[in-house]
Amino acid sequence: MSSRTGKAQVRSAAWRISLWATLAYTCGTVIVFIVLDRFVAKDIQRRTDAWLSGEVEVLSDVAEHTPNDALYNRVVGEVAELASREVPNRTAASGDAGSAVFFLMTGSDGAMKLCVGAGSGETNLQAIRSRRVLLDRPSDILIQGFSVPFRVASVAMDGGGRVYLGVSERDEMRVLRNLRLRFFLLWLSLVQLGFLVVFFSSRRTLSHVRRITEAASRIGHSDLKARVPTSERHDEMADLALTLNRMLDRIEQSVLQLHTITDSLAHDLRSPLTAMRGKLETSLGSLRDGEQAEAVVAAIEELDRLTEFLNKSLDVAEAKADALFLRVEPIDLDELLRSMIGLYEPSMSEKGLKIELQSTGPVRIEADPGLIHRMIANLFDNELKHLGPGYTVTVVLREQDDCTLLIVRDNGAGFDPDVLPHLFSMRVKGRHSSGHGLGLAFVDAVMRAHGGSATASEAEGGGAEITLTIPNHSVGSGSADKAARGIVQV
Amino acid sequence: MSSMRLLLVEDERDIQTFLTQALAEAGYAVDLAPDGAAAEGLALVNSYDILVVDLNLPDQDGFNLIVRLRQMGVRTPVLILSARRSIDDRVRGLEQGGDDYLTKPFALAELLARLRNLLRRNAPQGGEATRLRVLDLELDLLRREAKRGGELLQLTPQEFVLLEYLCRNAGRVVTRSMILEQVWGMRIQPDTNVVDVHIYRLRGKVDGNRQPPMIRTLRGVGYVLKDR
Repeated sequence: MSSRTGKAQVRSAAWRISLWATLAYTCGTVIVFIVLDRFVAKDIQRRTDAWLSGEVEVLSDVAEHTPNDALYNRVVGEVAELASREVPNRTAASGDAGSAVFFLMTGSDGAMKLCVGAGSGETNLQAIRSRRVLLDRPSDILIQGFSVPFRVASVAMDGGGRVYLGVSERDEMRVLRNLRLRFFLLWLSLVQLGFLVVFFSSRRTLSHVRRITEAASRIGHSDLKARVPTSERHDEMADLALTLNRMLDRIEQSVLQLHTITDSLAHDLRSPLTAMRGKLETSLGSLRDGEQAEAVVAAIEELDRLTEFLNKSLDVAEAKADALFLRVEPIDLDELLRSMIGLYEPSMSEKGLKIELQSTGPVRIEADPGLIHRMIANLFDNELKHLGPGYTVTVVLREQDDCTLLIVRDNGAGFDPDVLPHLFSMRVKGRHSSGHGLGLAFVDAVMRAHGGSATASEAEGGGAEITLTIPNHSVGSGSADKAARGIVQV
Repeated sequence: MSSMRLLLVEDERDIQTFLTQALAEAGYAVDLAPDGAAAEGLALVNSYDILVVDLNLPDQDGFNLIVRLRQMGVRTPVLILSARRSIDDRVRGLEQGGDDYLTKPFALAELLARLRNLLRRNAPQGGEATRLRVLDLELDLLRREAKRGGELLQLTPQEFVLLEYLCRNAGRVVTRSMILEQVWGMRIQPDTNVVDVHIYRLRGKVDGNRQPPMIRTLRGVGYVLKDR
């Protein structure tokens, strides 16, 4: 069950909207963060470079002005070391400054005169020389033995030598790394938050749409009284609900009108039919065994057929207008079919026909039992009337996906090919048929009223096959039968 | 049935005529009301055993009439006649309250059967019989066995139910639609002879060569199980 709702969740519009919105949001924030990162990295480097340039000037000044005596190296070395303590971007954790900064001085001949700090003088100098960089501006140099490059600035001394000051980019990188890590965590939570906000807000909006859809689908052929839920807010959803409800008002009005017409037609025809039938029946009492009785009996039977024809015509007309009134109950189609087959079996075997049911057990549907009974009686009557002796009628009942399939198949001559495409239309009948041509139109009408369909085809190996597809949750839920229908004055 | 008093509320002259005649022949003392107001007056003054009310009256809805009568304390069972296509929920509600309905056109036999049912429902009930006996035909309702002249009949369960229904209505006409409704629980009108074949088979088993034949066909009307 939960995996099913999970699947439904994934297929929902709210889910899709959230995914796309999150994707757009993710891309947007990534771009913003990259721009910020570049900006910060440049700023850090600018500050490092400013420090380097300043310090290297100071150091070259010191180197130039310190008397070149025995203390020279110590003085310059200490000044360089003091300077290295003020390395920018340093954190307490970055540890020993000695490994982060080096100071190098060359003489006018290019040979190394003094080296303080990280690395050994010769390797540093070699790395610097191999880069042949523009020495007026600070640049990145990778020195053997260090994984992180050094930012190196230099300045020429008046005496012909050069002073180099290098600072490891280790601290700079750590700052950037920390920044990126924070960016990343912030980004992750922002994306999640964004997804959740979009998902829940769109789900909230769409749940109103779903409620409207559910309500609208319940308002089936039988329950036109109900309306879709409206909301207090005057937004697009409320407009949709209002529009739907106005449309339903109009539909209800025209359906009511149709019921009034068919009801008064039925009434106007039935009253004289009742009187006629009653008179014939009372007169039959005095004639019972005479020959005239035959004529009266035939007239009564004719009247009964006329009544059934009238009922079916009106049902078909109403169903064609999607206005057939249903009294929906839960029924077991398997049980219903068994009892109908029980009713028809003797007549069938009397005619040399066989009838069999292929069903795997109870099939519960929501339907109008009266209409279903009449519909199946129609189908069986058709078989009885049109099938010659020796044939078999097979009734198959099975569930497929969300539908129940009811197939009535025979191995007879099949449908008249001229008639097959129009089989479910009103007043269409086979050349040799004696009926009104209403039977299958009625079957189609009942199926339509239940939200299902009826199709006719050639059975495998010849014969007629009629397939009825009934959706398992066709006609609304319980609300349909509870809704009292207003009496139509006729 | 010594002269049950019946009030017929019906405005169509043609239907009034034949119903009054047929009901009188069936032993009812019939009063006639052509509209709701007249019916109210009569029902309050006289005490009837049963009411037959058409839903479509010139001055008011037949349903309203029934509700008003009930409010005024009239507890008489009602058989509703309706020419409408569908039986609406309010009438269904009445049906659950012990009343019954019949759609026009109807067979007289069915009208009489429903009237009898309503009257029986209202009468004090004796214990449910476990045996039915009509002439030399005997039904054991517990063992689901039927005997004719002491000889066991080989009936299918469905045939037994059909025979039981005929026995309960012995001497009275039952129509095809009554059989379909009572035995199979379906309100259908097949345009083939499905019921006749069941009766034909049952007759073969119950009557066979025995005398006298009990199951009789009244063409155009229905069947009757003779009880004398």
